[in-house]
Amino acid sequence: MVFVVKNIVEYLELLTVLAWKNVTLRYKQAYLGIAWAVVKPLTLMLIFTLVKSFVGIDSGNIAYPLLTFAALIPWIFFQESASEGVRSVVGNANLIKKIYFPREIFPITAVVTKLVELGINFIILAGLMIWFQFIPSMYMLWVPIIIFYTILAALSIAFAGAAINVYYRDMGTALPVLLSLLMYAYPVIYPLQLVKDKLLEQQAAGEWSNLLYTLYTLNPLAGIIEAFQSVVLRNQLPDLTAMVPGIILVAILLPLSYAFFKRAESYFADVI
Amino acid sequence: MPIIEVNHVTKEYQLGQLQSLKTTAFNQWRRLTGQPIEERAPFKALDDVNFSIEPGEVVGIIGHNGAGKSTLLKLLANISKPSSGSITVKGKVAPLIEVGAGLVGDLTGRENIYLNGAILGISKVQIKRKFDDIVGFAELEDFIDTPIKRYSSGMQVRLGFSIATSVESDILIVDEVLAVGDLTFQQKCMERMESLIKREGRTVIIVGHNIRQLERICSRVMLLDHGHVSQDGSPRKVCGIFFREAQERTLARHTHLEGEITSQQGTSSIRVKKIELINEKGERSEGTGMHEPLTVHVSFECDKPMVRPEFVVGLHTSDFVHVLSVSNALPDIRPNLEAGSHQVICRLSDIPLRPFSYSLRLALLDQYRQMLWYAENIMPVLVTAGRYDVTKLPEVGLVDVPTTWHFHSVDDGSSNTQNN
Repeated sequence: MVFVVKNIVEYLELLTVLAWKNVTLRYKQAYLGIAWAVVKPLTLMLIFTLVKSFVGIDSGNIAYPLLTFAALIPWIFFQESASEGVRSVVGNANLIKKIYFPREIFPITAVVTKLVELGINFIILAGLMIWFQFIPSMYMLWVPIIIFYTILAALSIAFAGAAINVYYRDMGTALPVLLSLLMYAYPVIYPLQLVKDKLLEQQAAGEWSNLLYTLYTLNPLAGIIEAFQSVVLRNQLPDLTAMVPGIILVAILLPLSYAFFKRAESYFADVI
Repeated sequence: MPIIEVNHVTKEYQLGQLQSLKTTAFNQWRRLTGQPIEERAPFKALDDVNFSIEPGEVVGIIGHNGAGKSTLLKLLANISKPSSGSITVKGKVAPLIEVGAGLVGDLTGRENIYLNGAILGISKVQIKRKFDDIVGFAELEDFIDTPIKRYSSGMQVRLGFSIATSVESDILIVDEVLAVGDLTFQQKCMERMESLIKREGRTVIIVGHNIRQLERICSRVMLLDHGHVSQDGSPRKVCGIFFREAQERTLARHTHLEGEITSQQGTSSIRVKKIELINEKGERSEGTGMHEPLTVHVSFECDKPMVRPEFVVGLHTSDFVHVLSVSNALPDIRPNLEAGSHQVICRLSDIPLRPFSYSLRLALLDQYRQMLWYAENIMPVLVTAGRYDVTKLPEVGLVDVPTTWHFHSVDDGSSNTQNN
């Protein structure tokens, strides 16, 4: 771990420049430029709001568009940084074959690049908050910690995925599809509270309820989205019980994923 | 204390396609259940390579295609790992494996300098300091804020070379990039390389096919052959061996120069059937000695009568420097020829060329200088030192001219003359 951090510090400049390149390139010849970054969460938010008017979803005392947008922000950040991270090594094949620097720079850069788009989405969120006359609280200070945790969760997938993608390109194609499908399993459209009520309060699945809830929260995103909504909109601390299973999973997966990446790394140039 | 140590390094590649997921899973199953699996024979790109390089050495690596040169560079640059053996490199390596690796078309020249600099490990402060130098050397002052996808390929390569040679590293690894751009820029590149090597005392490893360039700038040359280091020593010795081997391979390819020789240009009314080289003693040979005669016999058939035809016989180097050309037009010996078979004999009475391997060129033209038959690189012509002592010849130069030397002592007026 110390070694990893040392590497990142040593190559911080390269990381910044590569991230800057990714951002510049994506929007270089587009008239709307970086404004495109907000298109996806905004449209999804509108669709969900539309759907919600047909199927009642209890959003509590918070305006539904705000609630769902606050869920989409960490979710889209996670989904895109994981997908982008998985494709990052193959996408830089020309560099892999010509120049050496620690290969983990590529997945990390891909994730860091997404931070820029995340920042833009925060501006939209601020706009929405003004529109719905919502006053944020001190709990907002939790946001950087939650985002950092999201980065770690995304990297757990990105490292192993990027290495597999070098050998089998199926990975890079399958993962984004898989992740978009999984969106419906996460509390993006509905608040986590609904699941909690159903399973923990009403024991809807009988004796399996508690286990099912733990399994559900084993997915780090469940905790992340809930925590994000809590600190930004509900002015309360994150629900730690919903986060712990996910944190344990990431703490196990991330080192494994990284070790797998480092083992595969030596053959990238030969196979890619 | 060597800066680079390579111990028993072997690099194997699997031949053929990457296995599909199905085959991999299937093989894994067979392995687990103890059944035999189909192993594909690996290809050894490098086979038990050992050497060490001291700081400040300039090492050239030569060898035919597929000898393992680029694989070796990739291992030294840490881009790929050896299958077995170990490589120890002490110091920062700047790989110039391909000029312009990592240049991005959509970014401007300025942006690319910062990007590529960061990729090559130059800090932002250093790039800022060297920015004007880099742009100046690449001669791109007017275009630096234009996306480089609008650059000509020469401009891109110039930019790449300029950035890459600005890296401050202990070891420079270069792959066939010395000759980039137009002639003037090539000259500049060579000067830059030589200044990096001689004045800054960097350790350099160069792979290339331009043997003469390597011979000039290297202090040591290694010859790779099918993954082994077959020669390692002074540039002159190793390059000489490499030339001889290349020569032998070419000769082997040109054993039969009888039967129709294909023309590369011209009409089909002429067919050249046989070309022979005859030396001073009147024997068929593969060449002659310096300042000795060489006779070229050409047998050909023509369908139509030829009025005052012109024959041009020439010699060129393997990189097509045409060092010598003679024609029957100058002495004006141009008889009319009937349709049918003919032989023309051209005697070059004194070959003024230094020992080297040249190639034969032949052209047949009609009286209006229309090309009837033309071919170059027809067969190798080997010029040996002949009656001269090869060790006393200067190291460079293609042409030898009879000379006279005078040494005067200026103050007392007496002269000391020696003729050669």
